[in-house]
Amino acid sequence: MTARPPRPGEALPVGTRVRVRRGPPEFHCRTPTYLRGAVGEIAAVVGYYRDPSRLALHKPGLPMRLLYRVRFRQIDIWPAYEGPPADSLFADLYGHWLDPLTGDANGNA
Amino acid sequence: MQDRRVNDVGGLPAGPIDREEHATTLFEKRVDALVMLLTSPEVGAFKVDALRRAIEQNTAEDYRRFGYYDKWIRAIRDLLIEQEILTAEEIDARIADIRKRRAKARP
Repeated sequence: MTARPPRPGEALPVGTRVRVRRGPPEFHCRTPTYLRGAVGEIAAVVGYYRDPSRLALHKPGLPMRLLYRVRFRQIDIWPAYEGPPADSLFADLYGHWLDPLTGDANGNA
Repeated sequence: MQDRRVNDVGGLPAGPIDREEHATTLFEKRVDALVMLLTSPEVGAFKVDALRRAIEQNTAEDYRRFGYYDKWIRAIRDLLIEQEILTAEEIDARIADIRKRRAKARP
Protein backbone atom coordinates (compact mmCIF):
# COMPACT_ATOMS: atom_id res chain seq x y z
CA MET A 1 0.00 0.00 0.00
CA THR A 2 1.51 3.30 -1.04
CA ALA A 3 1.01 6.49 0.90
CA ARG A 4 -0.30 9.72 -0.60
CA PRO A 5 1.99 12.59 0.42
CA PRO A 6 0.32 15.52 2.20
CA ARG A 7 -0.13 18.86 0.46
CA PRO A 8 1.85 21.84 1.86
CA GLY A 9 0.48 22.97 5.22
CA GLU A 10 -1.60 19.85 5.82
CA ALA A 11 0.82 18.05 8.12
CA LEU A 12 2.26 18.99 11.50
CA PRO A 13 5.90 20.02 10.90
CA VAL A 14 8.71 17.69 11.94
CA GLY A 15 9.77 18.59 15.49
CA THR A 16 6.24 19.45 16.68
CA ARG A 17 5.64 18.17 20.21
CA VAL A 18 2.49 16.11 20.44
CA ARG A 19 0.50 14.31 23.09
CA VAL A 20 -1.11 10.99 22.19
CA ARG A 21 -4.84 10.98 22.87
CA ARG A 22 -6.16 8.69 25.58
CA GLY A 23 -9.07 7.44 23.52
CA PRO A 24 -11.68 6.33 22.91
CA PRO A 25 -10.01 3.50 20.98
CA GLU A 26 -11.46 2.33 17.69
CA PHE A 27 -12.68 -1.25 17.34
CA HIS A 28 -9.40 -2.12 15.61
CA CYS A 29 -6.91 0.32 17.07
CA ARG A 30 -3.32 0.94 15.93
CA THR A 31 -2.46 3.16 18.92
CA PRO A 32 -1.11 0.96 21.73
CA THR A 33 -2.30 1.59 25.27
CA TYR A 34 1.23 2.16 26.57
CA LEU A 35 1.58 5.28 24.40
CA ARG A 36 -1.81 6.84 25.16
CA GLY A 37 -1.28 10.10 27.00
CA ALA A 38 2.47 10.11 26.26
CA VAL A 39 4.30 13.15 24.87
CA GLY A 40 6.67 12.85 21.91
CA GLU A 41 7.70 14.78 18.84
CA ILE A 42 7.03 14.37 15.14
CA ALA A 43 10.09 12.69 13.60
CA ALA A 44 8.68 12.19 10.09
CA VAL A 45 5.49 12.55 8.09
CA VAL A 46 4.83 9.16 6.48
CA GLY A 47 1.79 10.13 4.39
CA TYR A 48 -1.92 9.45 3.97
CA TYR A 49 -3.27 5.94 4.27
CA ARG A 50 -6.73 4.43 4.27
CA ASP A 51 -8.01 4.21 7.85
CA PRO A 52 -7.18 0.73 9.20
CA SER A 53 -9.94 0.91 11.82
CA ARG A 54 -12.47 1.11 8.96
CA LEU A 55 -10.71 -1.30 6.58
CA ALA A 56 -10.93 -3.77 9.47
CA LEU A 57 -14.73 -3.63 9.14
CA HIS A 58 -14.66 -4.07 5.31
CA LYS A 59 -15.30 -0.33 4.77
CA PRO A 60 -13.36 1.72 2.17
CA GLY A 61 -11.18 3.25 4.91
CA LEU A 62 -12.17 6.87 4.33
CA PRO A 63 -11.36 9.55 5.24
CA MET A 64 -7.69 8.84 4.61
CA ARG A 65 -5.59 9.35 7.73
CA LEU A 66 -2.24 11.09 7.94
CA LEU A 67 0.40 8.81 9.47
CA TYR A 68 3.31 10.22 11.45
CA ARG A 69 6.46 8.68 12.86
CA VAL A 70 6.64 9.95 16.44
CA ARG A 71 9.74 9.86 18.63
CA PHE A 72 9.31 9.30 22.36
CA ARG A 73 11.94 9.20 25.07
CA GLN A 74 12.01 5.78 26.70
CA ILE A 75 12.24 7.40 30.14
CA ASP A 76 8.97 9.23 29.43
CA ILE A 77 7.16 5.97 28.74
CA TRP A 78 8.55 3.44 31.20
CA PRO A 79 8.63 4.65 34.82
CA ALA A 80 11.44 2.24 35.75
CA TYR A 81 13.53 2.71 32.58
CA GLU A 82 17.21 2.20 33.43
CA GLY A 83 18.85 2.87 30.04
CA PRO A 84 20.46 6.14 28.90
CA PRO A 85 18.03 9.10 29.06
CA ALA A 86 18.51 9.81 25.35
CA ASP A 87 17.14 6.38 24.30
CA SER A 88 14.25 6.75 21.88
CA LEU A 89 11.23 4.77 20.83
CA PHE A 90 9.64 5.42 17.44
CA ALA A 91 6.00 4.63 16.77
CA ASP A 92 3.89 5.17 13.64
CA LEU A 93 0.68 6.89 14.80
CA TYR A 94 -2.24 8.43 12.94
CA GLY A 95 -2.83 12.17 13.17
CA HIS A 96 -6.32 11.86 14.66
CA TRP A 97 -4.63 10.37 17.74
CA LEU A 98 -2.22 13.29 18.21
CA ASP A 99 -2.76 16.70 19.81
CA PRO A 100 -0.02 19.27 19.08
CA LEU A 101 1.43 20.95 22.17
CA THR A 102 2.29 24.61 22.17
CA GLY A 103 3.37 24.99 25.80
CA ASP A 104 6.48 24.06 27.76
CA ALA A 105 8.46 20.82 27.72
CA ASN A 106 6.01 19.17 30.10
CA GLY A 107 3.16 19.78 27.73
CA ASN A 108 1.62 22.44 29.97
CA ALA A 109 0.11 25.26 27.96
CA MET B 1 -15.91 -1.60 24.48
CA GLN B 2 -12.91 -2.55 26.53
CA ASP B 3 -9.96 -0.16 26.41
CA ARG B 4 -7.25 -2.75 26.00
CA ARG B 5 -7.71 -5.62 23.57
CA VAL B 6 -6.02 -8.99 23.96
CA ASN B 7 -3.22 -8.10 21.54
CA ASP B 8 -2.40 -4.77 23.22
CA VAL B 9 0.11 -6.15 25.71
CA GLY B 10 3.01 -3.67 25.39
CA GLY B 11 4.37 -2.84 28.85
CA LEU B 12 2.37 -5.47 30.72
CA PRO B 13 4.33 -7.72 33.07
CA ALA B 14 5.45 -10.88 31.25
CA GLY B 15 8.16 -13.51 31.25
CA PRO B 16 11.20 -13.58 28.97
CA ILE B 17 10.61 -13.63 25.20
CA ASP B 18 11.43 -16.88 23.39
CA ARG B 19 13.87 -15.71 20.71
CA GLU B 20 14.61 -19.19 19.36
CA GLU B 21 14.12 -19.53 15.59
CA HIS B 22 12.29 -22.57 14.30
CA ALA B 23 11.91 -24.08 10.85
CA THR B 24 8.81 -22.95 8.95
CA THR B 25 6.27 -25.76 8.68
CA LEU B 26 4.24 -26.60 5.58
CA PHE B 27 1.09 -25.61 7.48
CA GLU B 28 2.52 -22.16 8.22
CA LYS B 29 3.54 -21.63 4.59
CA ARG B 30 0.09 -22.66 3.40
CA VAL B 31 -1.69 -20.32 5.81
CA ASP B 32 0.59 -17.47 4.78
CA ALA B 33 -0.10 -18.21 1.10
CA LEU B 34 -3.86 -18.24 1.79
CA VAL B 35 -3.72 -14.78 3.33
CA MET B 36 -1.59 -13.43 0.46
CA LEU B 37 -4.12 -14.77 -2.05
CA LEU B 38 -7.27 -13.68 -0.17
CA THR B 39 -5.96 -10.15 0.43
CA SER B 40 -4.57 -9.71 -3.12
CA PRO B 41 -6.35 -7.08 -5.25
CA GLU B 42 -7.48 -9.82 -7.67
CA VAL B 43 -9.34 -11.75 -4.95
CA GLY B 44 -9.97 -9.01 -2.37
CA ALA B 45 -11.86 -11.21 0.10
CA PHE B 46 -10.80 -8.91 2.96
CA LYS B 47 -8.00 -6.57 3.99
CA VAL B 48 -5.16 -7.49 6.32
CA ASP B 49 -6.68 -4.98 8.78
CA ALA B 50 -9.77 -7.20 8.99
CA LEU B 51 -7.52 -10.21 9.64
CA ARG B 52 -5.93 -8.33 12.54
CA ARG B 53 -9.34 -7.31 13.87
CA ALA B 54 -10.58 -10.91 13.73
CA ILE B 55 -7.46 -12.05 15.63
CA GLU B 56 -8.00 -9.33 18.22
CA GLN B 57 -11.53 -10.65 18.81
CA ASN B 58 -10.10 -13.83 20.36
CA THR B 59 -10.75 -14.36 24.05
CA ALA B 60 -7.65 -13.79 26.20
CA GLU B 61 -7.39 -17.55 26.72
CA ASP B 62 -7.58 -18.38 22.99
CA TYR B 63 -5.16 -15.58 22.16
CA ARG B 64 -2.65 -17.15 24.55
CA ARG B 65 -3.11 -20.79 23.69
CA PHE B 66 -3.19 -20.61 19.87
CA GLY B 67 -0.03 -20.14 17.85
CA TYR B 68 0.52 -17.27 15.42
CA TYR B 69 -0.64 -19.10 12.29
CA ASP B 70 -3.36 -20.96 14.21
CA LYS B 71 -4.86 -17.53 14.91
CA TRP B 72 -4.50 -16.63 11.23
CA ILE B 73 -6.34 -19.71 9.95
CA ARG B 74 -9.13 -19.26 12.51
CA ALA B 75 -9.46 -15.61 11.47
CA ILE B 76 -9.53 -16.61 7.78
CA ARG B 77 -12.41 -18.98 8.54
CA ASP B 78 -14.34 -16.33 10.49
CA LEU B 79 -13.84 -13.70 7.76
CA LEU B 80 -14.83 -16.00 4.88
CA ILE B 81 -18.09 -16.70 6.74
CA GLU B 82 -18.53 -13.02 7.67
CA GLN B 83 -18.04 -11.99 4.03
CA GLU B 84 -20.47 -14.74 2.93
CA ILE B 85 -17.86 -16.37 0.68
CA LEU B 86 -18.24 -19.74 2.42
CA THR B 87 -20.68 -20.99 5.05
CA ALA B 88 -19.65 -22.74 8.26
CA GLU B 89 -21.46 -25.84 6.96
CA GLU B 90 -19.46 -25.83 3.71
CA ILE B 91 -16.17 -25.54 5.61
CA ASP B 92 -17.15 -28.28 8.09
CA ALA B 93 -18.29 -30.58 5.28
CA ARG B 94 -15.01 -30.08 3.41
CA ILE B 95 -12.96 -30.79 6.56
CA ALA B 96 -14.98 -33.97 7.18
CA ASP B 97 -14.45 -34.95 3.52
CA ILE B 98 -10.67 -34.49 3.72
CA ARG B 99 -10.52 -36.41 7.03
CA LYS B 100 -12.39 -39.32 5.46
CA ARG B 101 -10.14 -39.32 2.41
CA ARG B 102 -7.02 -39.29 4.60
CA ALA B 103 -8.29 -42.11 6.79
CA LYS B 104 -8.84 -44.20 3.67
CA ALA B 105 -5.41 -43.39 2.23
CA ARG B 106 -3.62 -44.31 5.48
CA PRO B 107 -5.55 -47.07 7.18
